[in-house]
Amino acid sequence: MASSPNGSGTKTPQSTPPQASPPSGRLTTLALVGGAVLVIAGGAAFYFASKKAVQPVPDDAVTVTITGKTCDPNDLTVPAGRRTFKIINNSDRTVEWEILDGVMVLEERENIAPGFSSILNARLEAGTYEITCGLLSNPRGRLVVTPSAESTDSARPPLTAFIGPLAEYKVYLALETSALGAAAADLAQAIRDGDIDRARQLYGPARALYRHIEPVAQRFVDLDSAINARADYLDRREADPAFTGFHRLEYGLFDQSSLTGLAPIADKLVADIATLEERLGTLQLQPERMADGANTLLTRVAGSFGSDGEERYSGTDLDSLVATLAGTAKIISLLNPLVVKADPAIAADAQAKLDAATARIEALRTPQGYPRFDALDAGQRAAIADDLRALAEATTRLNAAIGLE
Amino acid sequence: MKKHLLSFSAAAAIALGSLTLAGPLPALAQATATAVAPLDLVAPVAEYKIYVSKLTQQFVKDTKAFTDAVKAGDVEKAKALYAPTRVSYEKIEPIAELFSDLDVAIDSRADDHEKAEADPAFGGFHRIEYGLWEKNSTEGLTEYADKLQADVEELNSRIAGLTFPPEKVAGGAAVLMEEVAATKISGEENRYSLKDLWDFQANFDGSRKIFDLFKPLLVNEDEFIAKVNGNFDRVYVILAQYKDGDGFQDYDKLTEADRKVLAGAVNTLAEDLSTLRGKLGLD
Repeated sequence: MASSPNGSGTKTPQSTPPQASPPSGRLTTLALVGGAVLVIAGGAAFYFASKKAVQPVPDDAVTVTITGKTCDPNDLTVPAGRRTFKIINNSDRTVEWEILDGVMVLEERENIAPGFSSILNARLEAGTYEITCGLLSNPRGRLVVTPSAESTDSARPPLTAFIGPLAEYKVYLALETSALGAAAADLAQAIRDGDIDRARQLYGPARALYRHIEPVAQRFVDLDSAINARADYLDRREADPAFTGFHRLEYGLFDQSSLTGLAPIADKLVADIATLEERLGTLQLQPERMADGANTLLTRVAGSFGSDGEERYSGTDLDSLVATLAGTAKIISLLNPLVVKADPAIAADAQAKLDAATARIEALRTPQGYPRFDALDAGQRAAIADDLRALAEATTRLNAAIGLE
Repeated sequence: MKKHLLSFSAAAAIALGSLTLAGPLPALAQATATAVAPLDLVAPVAEYKIYVSKLTQQFVKDTKAFTDAVKAGDVEKAKALYAPTRVSYEKIEPIAELFSDLDVAIDSRADDHEKAEADPAFGGFHRIEYGLWEKNSTEGLTEYADKLQADVEELNSRIAGLTFPPEKVAGGAAVLMEEVAATKISGEENRYSLKDLWDFQANFDGSRKIFDLFKPLLVNEDEFIAKVNGNFDRVYVILAQYKDGDGFQDYDKLTEADRKVLAGAVNTLAEDLSTLRGKLGLD
């Protein structure tokens, strides 16, 4: 359980004097006897007494006094921005005071000993929050944060605002790439085992994992060519020795129905994915690359639906597209908290476009799965392409909304 | 553990012994924020999330074994699993306690509830600890065990979906030490089982992990880094004296002298690590 008094505890005159920390020992009855409070207070006092530098309390600090079963005041309104609260514990128990956003703790001070006060600094955005006050059973208070000049600069978040989303995306890329490596290794094993049915089954899931990371992976030109190039881009098409990676395997498994020559291709794919994993591990991604990557990919996939598809031999373009949309959804969800603050309409539009594209594909799904690309008529393909272009444009507007252009 | 001990030279021990542990270095009083490029923080925050995720998954597994033992009425096995199960949670507390409802459900103390041990809302680890050690029984603990397991699984799924706030990660190193300094040092947390030293070790590990992840970004901070490392080494040396097999002796075995040294080092760590956020430009 949390307990984090800041280094700014100050002692009020009526409090017990700092004393040496309590002796260790069996403290079973700690909470049950009157002396318990003193023991904890002593511990806290020992801690606080070690603090030499006491933070100055600004004049506009909001004072909250905790008395018995309530906080005074227990309904607060402050302007958005960096705010200081001085929490005074006038109850007879060690207490906590927290600002909650839903179930999440925004800021907290715990273990405020009786007779002590603690300073809490919080950077608050406009909204309504709950405050906890002492015992868990005590009624929660309310903190209303009103918009202020300090909160209107959110359209262009500072670079630090992107650390969290970029870190989360980095974790996503790492996990997906790791899974991709394992999936490719399984596929290579099935090919070495001469098991074409199993290899066919393993192809789709491996392919989907590459699709998840493609907004970033597509930027490594050499690897993307080796892993993902279509025969169209090569001089001798399917017969070209540079035709490697997923589509070469797809060609063997689904078009030629032959494993001949596929083992070295599969091994090379595994090796290329290992290299990709290393590069992604050290890559420092710029914030604009998330939405930009999604935009580039969606535009390309839209184009393929307007022509003859990307999964030429297996016809699994819709399966592949589902994975592309999952990767896109991750990016949108990570940028969403920033975009919502800057321009809620743009955030909602991106989600709506994603939902629309998803809904159209899901409507085509049967118990046997998604139809093959060649089973789609021209109108269906054009509609999907339109959805994807609209989604691509919406992702571009995400960057624009948060000043990443 | 051994790694830390090996890196702890006798000379460093003597040098540190002469320092006043319970006060900030003068150099720390002023803001010496060397500009850290914000995007350099992405990799350590990502790595921290992976560290936390692995521990949370371990926590789910360990809690399952622990609650199964409780439900099977195996008091001895449940007692043996109590402390090692909590280790994962104690390491990741800076993130875990962001979820206030789950933190209360999983780890609140009797003191947090109006009627203390008799309060029906008192659940989680410490409620089970109370039953196992005070009553030496698993009677009536099944519902608490089931609830605990469900809460721990919910924690795992929430952490998986959480974008880690970088300031909470960087601040977490100090938060862990502040908790030990402010309350845990009194032995209040595991008051029935006296397993506090297990928690301490995990708290130190979790704090040091954060420090180690961000340390490479701190430039011209050799003195700060050496001091923090020295104090971590210091607490590890003390804890090592109380090792018992894979775990630790009961908290009442800790001598008053060792407790004071520990408290001093922890206070200084809390003080010093509280500047980490600022040094990383995250205040």
